[in-house]
Amino acid sequence: MSFGYLIVVSDKDDTNYARLAYALALSIKNTQKEGFDKVALVIDDPERIKQYTSTWVFDEIITWDKEKHWDGRSWMDVLTPWDYTVCLDADMLFLRDYSHWVQYFIDNCELYIANKSFTYRDEVVTDYTYRKTFVENELPNLYSFYTFFVKDSLLAKEFFNLNRKIVKNPIEFSNNFLQNYKPKVVGTDESFALSAKILDVTDEIAYPLEFPKVVHMKGMIQNWPYPADKVSDHVGFYFSTKGELKIGNYQQNNIVHYVEKDLITLETINILEEIAWKKNV
Amino acid sequence: MNKGVVIFAHNNRTLDYGRMAILSGILAKKNLDVPVSLITDPFTVDWMKEDGIFEDASKIFDKIIISVQPDTKNIRKIHDGASGDGAHCQFLNSNRSNVWDLTPYERTLLIDSDYFILSDNLNNYWNVDCDLMISKKYNDIIGEERTGYLDKRISDTGIEMLWATTVMFTKNEYTQTFFNLVDHIRENYERYGDIYRYDYRVYRNDIAFSIANHIMNGFQESDDYSLPPVLSTIDKDMLHDYDKNKLTFLITDLKNNYAAATIQNKDVHVMNKLSIVRNYKKILKMEAQ
Repeated sequence: MSFGYLIVVSDKDDTNYARLAYALALSIKNTQKEGFDKVALVIDDPERIKQYTSTWVFDEIITWDKEKHWDGRSWMDVLTPWDYTVCLDADMLFLRDYSHWVQYFIDNCELYIANKSFTYRDEVVTDYTYRKTFVENELPNLYSFYTFFVKDSLLAKEFFNLNRKIVKNPIEFSNNFLQNYKPKVVGTDESFALSAKILDVTDEIAYPLEFPKVVHMKGMIQNWPYPADKVSDHVGFYFSTKGELKIGNYQQNNIVHYVEKDLITLETINILEEIAWKKNV
Repeated sequence: MNKGVVIFAHNNRTLDYGRMAILSGILAKKNLDVPVSLITDPFTVDWMKEDGIFEDASKIFDKIIISVQPDTKNIRKIHDGASGDGAHCQFLNSNRSNVWDLTPYERTLLIDSDYFILSDNLNNYWNVDCDLMISKKYNDIIGEERTGYLDKRISDTGIEMLWATTVMFTKNEYTQTFFNLVDHIRENYERYGDIYRYDYRVYRNDIAFSIANHIMNGFQESDDYSLPPVLSTIDKDMLHDYDKNKLTFLITDLKNNYAAATIQNKDVHVMNKLSIVRNYKKILKMEAQ
């Protein structure tokens, strides 16, 4: 039995997703216990990660360029080298050991998709500013940023097969199933939610759990008394040399989906690398 | 473990905290059936003697502890109803963290002198296995419409507001550190204002206690036990009448309209201090019967 995390990136011109994936992989190596710290990277152009000094943090590097941007994630079940996988968005950081979450999923689930997110103050996100498609079309509130699945699961296969059809035919599916509010782009969250609704498997793949806990750093959902475009316009991100992250006055212990890509600077990378090197001496 | 209630009272030129503390003390003693002590200063004691109420205080309070009157630059507008009446006065509240040193009890319930205990609800908390408990919520007497964002959080992006109106603690190393930290925050209130983004022009115990609790909890919200929400009137309401464990208020809608409302057998924070003092004799007489 093998377990590992999977990160699928395809670089856009304006965002260095390879760097974000590298930072995430470093943070996984720094915080997860042995057996729960494997990382596979799927990347369209492996040249983009060669500049980094510690690419050993990727246990597997898979070159694959059949899809662009986030569409590649719809192939996660095919691309993963692991028997049990958690597929993550690249713009996330791990800040403590979450292997007990994974153990639960391995023991109990074939497919599980995160269905809530949290503010930096540890409140459940209830604002639907970015989720009108979900509310208006009565879709389950799924977040693809943390997706657990078993590779040989029939349920997962059926789910991802339908998901790929939606990603390939967004207009047809929007016209048929998202009539109450059509999104500009059918992203992975929308296609996952629509797949779950059509297959009627929401109760199996997204039943209520206390975890995974992912802090979602989009501006409008932080329960602030005013509208906010970027979180960093209002609160500071403080990344310590110990790899600890404080946002505003709050110490972060859960996975942070930081959204603003420029928060991962070379200095952040250097800190994460140094911790990883010290851990592996 | 001995237990009791502690109330602070430091008079200023406008407000007679001595009288408020006596009323608050009578009600706490009657409804909780525990001893109540007063922490005050020589000036307040002198005034109580001159005013003829020191004898009342001596009967009510288990101990009267004379401390130093806190030095303050805190000036605050005290309203007396919605009409704009009231006064600017000194707010002598900056020595609350001394309670750890001054309390005569091992388990202490610290209450504001304008907090009227009209039930035995707080007796349920003496034996809770938690060294420090503070109210986490403010409940306005008429509901959410008069409650603002800054009644829930110390700033727009900041931490949750705790209400130091009621604080229960056991005297030990943990709570000593907590109160030392409150004192440190008070001394560096402007600097913490930069870090925690609150308005630091007027010192508030609620904010200092909230920050200390946040720090002691590893810079996160605590899901530990807390005292019940503070049911509160605002200083634009007026305490109008008192009958046994029953307070009648004139409640404002903030547009100069009033409605009468009665609170019975529920603990309540009476923010209009001038109206408490006006009702001193009535409440004292009623409780003497």
